[in-house]
Amino acid sequence: MIDFRHIGFATQPSTVAVDPWRVQLFCQAIGEADPIYRDESAARDAGHPACLVPPTFLRAIEADHCSAAEILEILGIPVASVMHAEQSFEYHAPVHVGDRIEVTRTLTDSYDKRDGALTFIVLDSHFRREGETVCDSRQIIVVRNPKE
Amino acid sequence: MNAPRPPRIELECGPVSALDLALYAAASGDHNPLHLDADVAKAAGFERPVVHGMLTMAFCGRLLTSHFGVAALRSLSVRFLGAAVRGDRIVLSGTLTSVDKEGMATYELAGHNDAGKELVAGTARVSAPAHKAAP
Repeated sequence: MIDFRHIGFATQPSTVAVDPWRVQLFCQAIGEADPIYRDESAARDAGHPACLVPPTFLRAIEADHCSAAEILEILGIPVASVMHAEQSFEYHAPVHVGDRIEVTRTLTDSYDKRDGALTFIVLDSHFRREGETVCDSRQIIVVRNPKE
Repeated sequence: MNAPRPPRIELECGPVSALDLALYAAASGDHNPLHLDADVAKAAGFERPVVHGMLTMAFCGRLLTSHFGVAALRSLSVRFLGAAVRGDRIVLSGTLTSVDKEGMATYELAGHNDAGKELVAGTARVSAPAHKAAP
């Protein structure tokens, strides 16, 4: 069980730039070779105003803002005791290389299962560009609690 | 607009190398040593360093974008069921479950490693393809 006072905890918004080198490194890591992520003319030929980012790239932006590890530290939970249980993204508008994305994260909920052996922590992230929401995402972390 | 949707899509990724994990750690900012350090992984009960769940999810993203393009993806959600380790191949599939009247398709996603261990299950929604403007 986490301290219930932490439920509703929200980070201060901060703005993270979508740098081209970061998107290229991300593509290299995930084996993504499509030029629309790195070659502006290829992106324009495909009908986009600029290079796009892969669907899960916003997690990198989110970590620059405030990583799950930092939130766990605030909660006093050792990172070695947690696993990533679920992750989801709702996309509202395409994100492009060169965008500046404002990020906030909220600890929306926490609940126990298996008589307290497991604690689930729900973190919601909101991604905005010039006030417009481009993506909402949710990360659910599971903590294996030590036996009493 | 009733674009034909393939009933099943597939993608095989990997084998995931130590370099892939190091690059993903750098790109994503997730430097948890469980993914990078064989001793830490062993102490946690894994034979080899653990593949970032988000790397497996990024492969799910590729499964969808390689068929439909990134701009058509409306949502992507997965549950992590098991951990892949360094050296695993990751086999992903999507099965079409519905297409609504606006042309939004829903795919059920599944992923396992080459030993058959379940890694992820999930859902994605893909919008109807936009007509490309004439040049």
